[in-house]
Amino acid sequence: MNTAVTHPANKGDLIVKAIVLVIAAALLFAPFLFQDVRSVEVAARICIFVVLVASYDLLIGYTGIVSFAHTMFFGFGAYGVAILLKQMGPGWGPVVLGTLAGVTVSIIVATLIGLLSLRVKAIFFAMITLAAASVVLVLASQLSGFTGGEDGITYRVPDLFKPATKLMVDEDGKVLRILGVKMNGKLAAYYFVFLTCFILFLFLLRVVASPLGTVLEAIRENEGRAEGIGYRVVAYRTFVFCLAATMASIAGSVYAVWLKYTGPDTALSFAIMIDILLMVVIGGMGTMWGAVIGATLMVLAQYYLRDLMAVASEATSAIPLLPDLLAPDRWLFWLGIIFILLVYFFPAGLAGTIMKKESH
Amino acid sequence: MSHPSLVTEDLTIRFGGHVAVNKVSCTFNPGELTVIVGPNGAGKTTYFNMISGQLPPSEGRVLKDGIDLTRMAPSARARHGVGRAFQLTNLFPKLTVLENIRLAVQAQEGAGRNFFTPVRRFTELTARAERYLEATRLEKVAHMTAAALPHGDQRKLEVALLMAMEPDIYMFDEPTAGMSLDHAPDVLDLIAEIKHDKSKTVLLVEHKMDVVRALADRIIVLHNGELIADGDPDEVMSSRIVREVYLGAAEETTA
Repeated sequence: MNTAVTHPANKGDLIVKAIVLVIAAALLFAPFLFQDVRSVEVAARICIFVVLVASYDLLIGYTGIVSFAHTMFFGFGAYGVAILLKQMGPGWGPVVLGTLAGVTVSIIVATLIGLLSLRVKAIFFAMITLAAASVVLVLASQLSGFTGGEDGITYRVPDLFKPATKLMVDEDGKVLRILGVKMNGKLAAYYFVFLTCFILFLFLLRVVASPLGTVLEAIRENEGRAEGIGYRVVAYRTFVFCLAATMASIAGSVYAVWLKYTGPDTALSFAIMIDILLMVVIGGMGTMWGAVIGATLMVLAQYYLRDLMAVASEATSAIPLLPDLLAPDRWLFWLGIIFILLVYFFPAGLAGTIMKKESH
Repeated sequence: MSHPSLVTEDLTIRFGGHVAVNKVSCTFNPGELTVIVGPNGAGKTTYFNMISGQLPPSEGRVLKDGIDLTRMAPSARARHGVGRAFQLTNLFPKLTVLENIRLAVQAQEGAGRNFFTPVRRFTELTARAERYLEATRLEKVAHMTAAALPHGDQRKLEVALLMAMEPDIYMFDEPTAGMSLDHAPDVLDLIAEIKHDKSKTVLLVEHKMDVVRALADRIIVLHNGELIADGDPDEVMSSRIVREVYLGAAEETTA
């Protein structure tokens, strides 16, 4: 008997993992590979969204829970840190306390929503999360004394992350450059983001590979039978909802530290929720690798599609009509077309479809 | 006789005005295999649903070893040792055969609550799941998804799930339905094996008379939701009322 041996890794798995490895390497060396402010901004955003999308996939892809409140939890974390940094001044205390506060609020709210409504049909649950997220969005803009309202909050972060901070100095006392990159606070901030997100992502990988991970899939596949063989479905759903909320909340806290600004547009808006949904679908539901691919592609498209189109429009200026179609202002139109094509040719998402196709 | 392991008291369920199961009181004993027979629509599956918890009864109680299960969710009853296999295949289609079985094994261990240790470290769980794989002769398809199995193997997996729960009460709902002749004996052998363990109680809904004759220690007959006969197989099968409501209509199956 040798059934314990898992299947030999198939080609599709290897392709997907290779892509993820390349992305991870690019993110690890991002400040050295792409030495401009905007690129590092993009890299940090990708890190954050990988965690956000992976934790959302734990709900929608693994357990089959449809929630529209994921940005709400992201916002709890971001506002927790932002408010405390604003009130207490820069320092690690407010960062840690703000993160904990965000996580605490997230867990309480997630437990309440979960216990009250995870028994009901999926569609009602989705509606309730939508309602909760709307309420929080309105609250954030109304309680402006606390949250800065529509303008959000600008604050200073711990000294370590200030651009003027010298991590290493040369003999002259100037900030040391390695491969042309200044060893300053900005670099420290990027690696703070990268490392936290990396650890959170690894944690999520462990979760889906654990016995609990299989139970979640079982609940997605056949809720009644999962209950029948002895799993309390409501308890498991509530737990995973809290877990995903916690991950989103921590990601929000980290993002707040990185941006030095928190407002409805960066931490709470439904536009972010839609981005997350698109990333999950593009990458592939029910696979953590998909989150990495989806988040990377989408963020890159959001930042660089316009630039790319400007170049394309320029290059085709001699041809009639084309330059107009390719005008940078139409980037959303093209993003939409790319999205439709992706869904058409990769119905299970990029990672999902590649893994499936090559497995036979 | 030993203490009954499972008792239903006046178990009743109404759907609107229709009484699907009417005051069924019955006791089931360890070491005994009871076959539940009755024409289609007699309430056999509904009776099962109330015992395993899929349907809440309108009246009456379900007791296992003296513990009242009536208000418990199916998961709690499963943890109290009431295991059930379904008439219509009811699996986790996109998970592999081994994963399906391991889920049932780990449910009683509480390992499902572990969210950090990789599954592959739980070698004991996997080893136990493999025992049931072998018992049901599914080891060759261990890494296929349940959805990809032929019907006969899906039925076997259904039985494997129940066995992997290692319950005290085994409830089989037409375990050989739709199975080919070469597969059915495998499943029946498994049930016969469980029967040999004198601490286990087996409830079996079955239509095929040869199966009933081979396995039954006792037969109860449901008709229009009511318990109309209960006793020794030969006695029950030859009683007039049973012949009238049940066998009379299906004389040809007594071959």
